Amino acid sequence: MMRMVTGNYAVAYGALLSRVDLIAAYPITPQTFIVEHASEFVNDGLLDAEFMRVESEHSAMSACVAASATGVRAFTATASQGLALMHEVLFIAGAGHLPIVMPVVNRTVASPIGIWAEHNDTMPQRDTGWMQVYCEDNQEVLDMVIQAYKIAENKKVLLPIMVNLDAFILSHTVEPVNFPEQSKVDKFLPRYKPEHVHLSPDDPMTVGSFAPPEYIQEVRYQTEESMLNAKKVIQEVNDEFAKMFGRNYHGMVEEYRTEGADAILVTIGTVTSTAREVIDEYRAKGKKVGLVKLRFFRPFPIEQFIDIAKRTKAIGVYDRSISFGSGGPSFIEVKSAIYGHTSIPMINFLAGLGGRDVMSDDIELMLDKTLEAAKTGKVEKDVVWIGTRGVTP
Amino acid sequence: MYEVRFHGRGGQGAVMAAQSLADAAFIEGNYAVAFPYFGAERRGAPVLAFARVDANKIYRKTQIYKPDYVIVLDDKLIDLINVAEGLSKDGMAILNSTKKPEEIQLENEVRTATVDATTIALDVLGVPITNSVMLGAFAKATGLVKIESIEKGIMDIFGARIGERIAKKNAKAARTAYERTAIGTCKGGRIFKKEKKWLPTYKELPLGLATRAMKTDAGLVGPGSFVENKTGSWRTFKPIIDKEKCIECLFCWFYCPEGCISRTSNGLKIDYDYCKGCGICANECPANAIEMVR
Amino acid sequence: MSLKIKDLPEENLFTKGHTACPGCGGAIMAKIAMKVFGKNTCAYFPANCLLVFGGTYPLNAFKVPYLHVLFENSAVCAAGIKRALNKLGKEDVNVVAFAGDGGTADIGIQALSGAAERNEDIIYICYDNEAYMNTGIQRSGSTPFGAWTTTTPVGSKIAGKERFKKDVPRIMIAHDVPYVATASISYPLDLLKKLEKVKNMKGFRYLQIFAPCPTGWRLDPSKTVEIGKLAVESGMWTLYEFENGKMTINKKPKMIPVREYLKPQGRFRHLTDEQIDILQELVKKKWERDLAMAESTH
Repeated sequence: MMRMVTGNYAVAYGALLSRVDLIAAYPITPQTFIVEHASEFVNDGLLDAEFMRVESEHSAMSACVAASATGVRAFTATASQGLALMHEVLFIAGAGHLPIVMPVVNRTVASPIGIWAEHNDTMPQRDTGWMQVYCEDNQEVLDMVIQAYKIAENKKVLLPIMVNLDAFILSHTVEPVNFPEQSKVDKFLPRYKPEHVHLSPDDPMTVGSFAPPEYIQEVRYQTEESMLNAKKVIQEVNDEFAKMFGRNYHGMVEEYRTEGADAILVTIGTVTSTAREVIDEYRAKGKKVGLVKLRFFRPFPIEQFIDIAKRTKAIGVYDRSISFGSGGPSFIEVKSAIYGHTSIPMINFLAGLGGRDVMSDDIELMLDKTLEAAKTGKVEKDVVWIGTRGVTP
Repeated sequence: MYEVRFHGRGGQGAVMAAQSLADAAFIEGNYAVAFPYFGAERRGAPVLAFARVDANKIYRKTQIYKPDYVIVLDDKLIDLINVAEGLSKDGMAILNSTKKPEEIQLENEVRTATVDATTIALDVLGVPITNSVMLGAFAKATGLVKIESIEKGIMDIFGARIGERIAKKNAKAARTAYERTAIGTCKGGRIFKKEKKWLPTYKELPLGLATRAMKTDAGLVGPGSFVENKTGSWRTFKPIIDKEKCIECLFCWFYCPEGCISRTSNGLKIDYDYCKGCGICANECPANAIEMVR
Repeated sequence: MSLKIKDLPEENLFTKGHTACPGCGGAIMAKIAMKVFGKNTCAYFPANCLLVFGGTYPLNAFKVPYLHVLFENSAVCAAGIKRALNKLGKEDVNVVAFAGDGGTADIGIQALSGAAERNEDIIYICYDNEAYMNTGIQRSGSTPFGAWTTTTPVGSKIAGKERFKKDVPRIMIAHDVPYVATASISYPLDLLKKLEKVKNMKGFRYLQIFAPCPTGWRLDPSKTVEIGKLAVESGMWTLYEFENGKMTINKKPKMIPVREYLKPQGRFRHLTDEQIDILQELVKKKWERDLAMAESTH
């Protein structure tokens, strides 16, 4: 069934279709509609879930961690400062192997206080043991909430995951979304029955004990191994979903017109959609450019980028956040991934920070600079700020 | 460089002793560091502290596994754990003991110094805390630091933490120990049972440490497994129940923080493997049926 | 029939071998509470002494399901467990949070207030030893006036804590939850009555148990229980319960001079007569306030 819905509705409906057992959430712009829609689903009896309308995001994540450790499918959603407030709790879910799904409406983190799209809320969470996937449209948002549970609850993974969507650009935009049938989703995503952790008086477990150094390094390795296992599971789940529902997102990354490309632009989030159009225009003009949509940031698609880098002459990487003093997080990761495999030039493009619109012109500039680097084999500047007053790109 | 390992119990001030020794060595123009064992400390539980001294800046940041000297603050620890573990053959054990060095048996035959530190502490300080006392013994036994420097180190470290008045007493306690320390060689050949530790691989380790009660080669783990940890050695005073006087009111059974008093068909029974000797049972007994004895 | 000491089971669900300091009031609290709550219980622990002396991986003293997440979220984590158990059809399981006074009065009060306002179906126990003992005796909101701690040292300019103890039970009463009570490890029958009551009730239940810490209070470990009695007799700690909108005083204090209570404790050794007078006056006011509330709700 096709319906015109916002990204926030797609998120809430994804949770409904996933038959989540427990929702704990706190409202924050621009995520509020997710909490509101979920409240309606529960109050109308459409979704049989415990709903904890907690007093903060810190408590929302705490409740999800406790509920997931008890053995149920837990759900929350947040944005920006809310995610920042959750920060210390996120580690517990990662190390504790608790497959919580959390959509994050990517919003700028103060200061200054703003409510528009920026990835500086989720990027600082990359070392918490959570998987991260970034979406391009509302259909992908809905589909990824369902896939997220399937990936997270896989016995080889058992890690929490953030499903990211850009503030307003998706969260508050209506577009047609195909709603899968509940019976098909039930078949795709069976009930969650954890064996590794639960809190049950008939089978007591100690969970979260104070631990000396003799044990913690092994716990770190467990999380790392799960993260590495997830790479394969993400592809398997993607393929199974594609087969069942007819929509293929190609797993960790999606390549768009990369065949024979001299210059490849890597994008994350909604900028990908606008970039597709610009790529088409350039290709129509005979310019050999291609696009790579970076979907999963954790685990990071290292192997895919090694392969891609070997097939092109220059790579430009777009970021909607910055690690001050270094560069955009995606750029740092891609560069690190391909090190030693190729020596092609790479450029980082920063644009759209604080929610500023990223226009076709901006993307053209990115492609032109990457093409130039492909031709000359070198770059003038590693990190290029686009549209920043007083800064030459 | 020489490395020193202190054995004590939580609350006995092993760390302050290590710091005072480092301070004394520093006063004499050396470079010195002192640090605790990195773990949670509870009053009465066995703990470690370390000191390193060298003429030059010390770069090594590891804990000490092969000490040149071990200092044991608590006389009971000698029989409980292998205090000489890793001790250099040319090293020395400095022990709180009423025995002569020749009467002591450790893992290997090594130079040994003994001093009745508990008695000195009780006489000079009024409490059985032997950290400062043992530093006097160290100065005498090794000759590595002058007793005057030790006294100064104690004044610096103890003074800052607990005040000048008590620091002075501690300095005096150290001086007393300096004068009473016996030096000799202990007997070797003592065999200590190596404590088994459960060290599974990351794959064997429960995911995220969510752990059920289970039996491993090193004993129980998970819910309820703390029974593996016998805490009776923490005790200084021991409660004895006089069955004639006991009225079985169960106050001791109720209040015992360890839960080591049990109701049996033969009256109340104390499990001394766990009793830490807090004395609440004796203090609360309305029939005065419990006595605390040394 | 109210619960008697002899009715308690022999088995300890909080086992011996734990590493609490000798004479620990918190250990007495945990042992007795678990005897009353029984096996059909899930327990939550924030970062506190009990977390550490109750278990260092892989060993643990608790035989029941045990969860620790963080420091400031005890109430919501317990609520999360309870809601999840409800969803799994295990509505009869007791869920209890064992938090300390710092984790309750200070860093945990937001989550506590939220859970109380939502009337989450949990038991929240604050075992009150009047400072952050786990980190080495730092002052908390629950530390009494005048007390020495490592962050309220006895200096030449300022000596001890300058403010009075935060009255958390009163804050909880303001939430109008089904049950709020104060208790003490030193009053076994009163304690057992309250533990049994919270076990058998529904909704949010708050119980603050006075649990002296000989290490932090600079007290002879054998005096842990004795000092708890002096606290109640002097009016430093009042035993009462708030139920169905009514507050009942369970033990009328003799109002012995606070000096008697302060004397055995090293943490109060430095107090001047003037400071003791201030404390005496504060205690009198607190007692009058508690009494007025008890009278006005009946």
